[in-house]
Amino acid sequence: MKAHTMKKNHLFALTLISVSVLAGCSTMPQSTTLDNARTDYNNAQANPQVVKLAPLQLKEAGEALDRANAAQVSREDAKVVDSLAYVAQQKIALTQEIAQRKSAELAVSNATAERNKLQLQARTAEADQAHQQAAMAELTAEQKTAEANLARQQAADARAAAAQDQASLAAMQAQMDELNAKKTPRGMVITLGDVLFDTNRAQLKSGGERNVQKLAEFLKRYPQRTVLIEGFTDSVGSDSSNQVLSEQRAQAVSMALTNMGVGRDRISTKGYGEAYAVAGNDTAAGRQLNRRVEIMLSDERGVIAPR
Amino acid sequence: MLKKTSRFQLPQLSRMSVAYVLLAGGVMLMAGCAGVPPTEQIAVTKAAVAHANNAATTQFAPVELQSAKDKLARAEQAMEKEDYALASRLADEALVDARLAEAKSESAQAQKAAKDSQDASRVLREEINRKAQ
Repeated sequence: MKAHTMKKNHLFALTLISVSVLAGCSTMPQSTTLDNARTDYNNAQANPQVVKLAPLQLKEAGEALDRANAAQVSREDAKVVDSLAYVAQQKIALTQEIAQRKSAELAVSNATAERNKLQLQARTAEADQAHQQAAMAELTAEQKTAEANLARQQAADARAAAAQDQASLAAMQAQMDELNAKKTPRGMVITLGDVLFDTNRAQLKSGGERNVQKLAEFLKRYPQRTVLIEGFTDSVGSDSSNQVLSEQRAQAVSMALTNMGVGRDRISTKGYGEAYAVAGNDTAAGRQLNRRVEIMLSDERGVIAPR
Repeated sequence: MLKKTSRFQLPQLSRMSVAYVLLAGGVMLMAGCAGVPPTEQIAVTKAAVAHANNAATTQFAPVELQSAKDKLARAEQAMEKEDYALASRLADEALVDARLAEAKSESAQAQKAAKDSQDASRVLREEINRKAQ
């Protein structure tokens, strides 16, 4: 009977152990780790980077979380629930790390691509610049050649012009000689004698027109020159009539030049009456010298020194 | 056994049956916890921890690496004490710790590389801009 009692006690103890083991499982403990794992999982799911770059790992983390939840629902030991929750939490953290790594790798390849693009652009720009410089150098060379040619041409032109000047100067001198031009302090003076006019007349005689014709041709040839036509008389007659007559004579020559095509703006006239006599009025020869028209030729700029 | 049973009264028999059922249940539950030794799991974890145990991980994820090592050591101790349930849980945890440590280290290195690469791009861009001016 003693042994029987002992056996009974033994059984009771075992029963107690069994109950206590079951009771240990039957409480529904709150797991902070599991709560944290759920929060972490929700955050990971809300993170588009994780969803996009670590979908497989996120699925595995979800499964691990499911296992932890299931363990809690089936009232397993808190240590088991916590351990499963811990595993889930670490797997969720893993998704974040993988997403970050992949994102960084993308950034590396993007930056590399950008660098390659930049380098290509830079090389293209350098090539373009070299091209441009070469073109510029070519242009400069051409320009220099052109300048040299121009300088040569100008030198040649200058020589030619000098030669022409010489020639034209000689030609002008010849014409001046023909016109009996005389050099005076005021410039070149051509004197048309009284052969042009009768006493008291302002009409050009036909013989004198030839001299005027030569003058007109000269003026056409040297268009920068102007003329001042000055009329003079002898002392026969009154001062006032001589003044008018001298003016009329100058006008007559001016008219003749205009008719021969010399511009009116190049001709000015003045009468001096019997003033500025070049010879005595007491002889017929002297009076003849005094009845005259003097034509002052301007310099090359059209300037005539005043009397 | 039959003989024994016949000697008990009915209510007693019933109480004994409940006790046996409970005992069986308790034993089964404990057996479920203890089960066969998770040798393979320990081996897998050991390999993972060894793989994670490198200079980069030591530098970039020291906490996770240390946790993995500690838990593996504790799992091995639990194996020796034949607490297979604890050994299995610790091995599970050590395994995810080791994997997280590696992932963290790789992520940190990739982020450093990204920063370097972006810096290089920026420097190049600035240089080109300077040249262009």
